[in-house]
Amino acid sequence: MIHRGEDVIIRTISRMLIPFIQIYALYVIMHGHYSPGGGFQGGVIFGASFVLLLLTHGYHDARSRVSEKTMIVFSSMGVLIYAGIGFLCLVLLGNFLDYSMLAGILHVDPAHARSLGILGVEIGVGFAVMAVMVSIFLDISTGGVLPGEEEDVGEPPVKEA
Amino acid sequence: MDMFFLAVALGICFLVLLVLYRVVYGPGVFNRVAAISAVGTKTLIILLIVGFLYQRVDMFVDISIVYALLNFIGCVAVAKYLEMER
Repeated sequence: MIHRGEDVIIRTISRMLIPFIQIYALYVIMHGHYSPGGGFQGGVIFGASFVLLLLTHGYHDARSRVSEKTMIVFSSMGVLIYAGIGFLCLVLLGNFLDYSMLAGILHVDPAHARSLGILGVEIGVGFAVMAVMVSIFLDISTGGVLPGEEEDVGEPPVKEA
Repeated sequence: MDMFFLAVALGICFLVLLVLYRVVYGPGVFNRVAAISAVGTKTLIILLIVGFLYQRVDMFVDISIVYALLNFIGCVAVAKYLEMER
């Protein structure tokens, strides 16, 4: 599933399509509070663009852009952004994720602070969902052993006859 | 105008049932893949018509773009899987 495809049509089409998919994912995240979508949906679309890249170009060629280690770092970073904004509101004497308390440090009125706070939380959720989607896809399609990184897991288990 | 869109949507729903026969009983995997792709395309049009009925086309266009995108990626994934199985 993760090996490089041979079809030049599919490879060219996906190479042209992937940047637009990613721009569209950013649009869905940014307009989450005006239109359908938000952090989760935008993250899924962003992850789908990376899944398309891995399907068409293979893990060996796409490793410099999307690797398992990067994805783990991104997923932790997304959760950190989400929980960090929540706990920042706690520190500023509000409830968990009470964005109006951010007005003091952002120097805007509480209504704008709520809008910016929910945007920050959605960006964090988008990061986490994107990274976890790609990580799940990599793990399922390779059985946990990524091509080119087999030496990390030692000897493959010997099959009983 | 609403009646027209409703009639078109119901007609496309009936066509989805016809294609669904090919999905369930179709001989071979390739017929099923093509039929599933056709069902996805019809669902996209039904989504847009529902958007017209609710007077919120601008939002339903977003949803249908995502639907078309995931349909394409799913088709590529199934094709890759079949190529690997051979």
